Amino acid sequence: MCPQVIATKILVVDDSEAFRKVMTELLVRVGFHEVVEAKDFDEAMEVFMREKPKISFVDMILPGRSGVELTKAMLAVDPKATIIAMSSIINKKMIRESMDNGAKDFLLKPTNEIALSSVLTMWSD
Amino acid sequence: MGLFSRRTTARKTGAEVGLGITRKYSLTPGKSYVVEESPPDISFDAFVNIISTTNGEPLKKPVGLAVSRQHPDLIRQKYGLEQTPIYWLATRAGQQVISPTNLGILTHTLIQFIEDNPSAVILLDGLEYLVSNNDFNKVLRVIDQVNDHISQSKAILIIPVDPRAFDQKEVALLERNMEKIGGTARR
Repeated sequence: MCPQVIATKILVVDDSEAFRKVMTELLVRVGFHEVVEAKDFDEAMEVFMREKPKISFVDMILPGRSGVELTKAMLAVDPKATIIAMSSIINKKMIRESMDNGAKDFLLKPTNEIALSSVLTMWSD
Repeated sequence: MGLFSRRTTARKTGAEVGLGITRKYSLTPGKSYVVEESPPDISFDAFVNIISTTNGEPLKKPVGLAVSRQHPDLIRQKYGLEQTPIYWLATRAGQQVISPTNLGILTHTLIQFIEDNPSAVILLDGLEYLVSNNDFNKVLRVIDQVNDHISQSKAILIIPVDPRAFDQKEVALLERNMEKIGGTARR
């Protein structure tokens, strides 16, 4: 059975092209077909302002400016945006910093359909 | 010398500091779960997520215990676990080490933890390693015994299984009394 297609635009920010591809595939599989991608801070801000995604998955460790800085910049543009922090390790200090700066949730990489669906159910309308 | 006279001593067990994130896995207390996957990413994510979050009840954060073939330092580093006891399945001597051939100590450690912490979450990783050091049926008996205690408590048991390491009949026997969580094995 195909999942229902959900019209919520999602941005995935990660410097790994392979991860972005896997994440996009997972998002499509759980029903989110409108996915845009970015590899770093500058590209993310450009895509964010142009595409106005409702939910952005932001890797905390990006080349150049960090995911926390990106979270702050995105929320300065759109305070209603939902930012989900991601990382391949659970660094409590980093997670706390992300949440303190406006991230709504955290997702451990590599993620899976169960965790992703749960986060999306929580934060998409 | 009694069977459990060389039992490993667990460090002080406590709940992990909450991360303020969403509970992503709704596993039912009193049940055991098999996750067919390799590497055990979903299992660890579920384990860490459950012990680092509350389910809307602030005082009811469960405590966890992990047994793994991976070294505890690596697990602590990757998953930010500070309070959770982690036992290393290895042939080396040490306080937080359980020999893969010593199924008695393994069983006792898990059952004792469930009795001490009725809402515990237990991750038993390294099943393939246990089976390679023992007869499959002996390992199955350990799981069945622990599963019986899980059923009589509010604890949760999570067991990642690499389906490539077992034949169909063995997988069926493992999953006989447990719920299955969807997973993947990288070939």
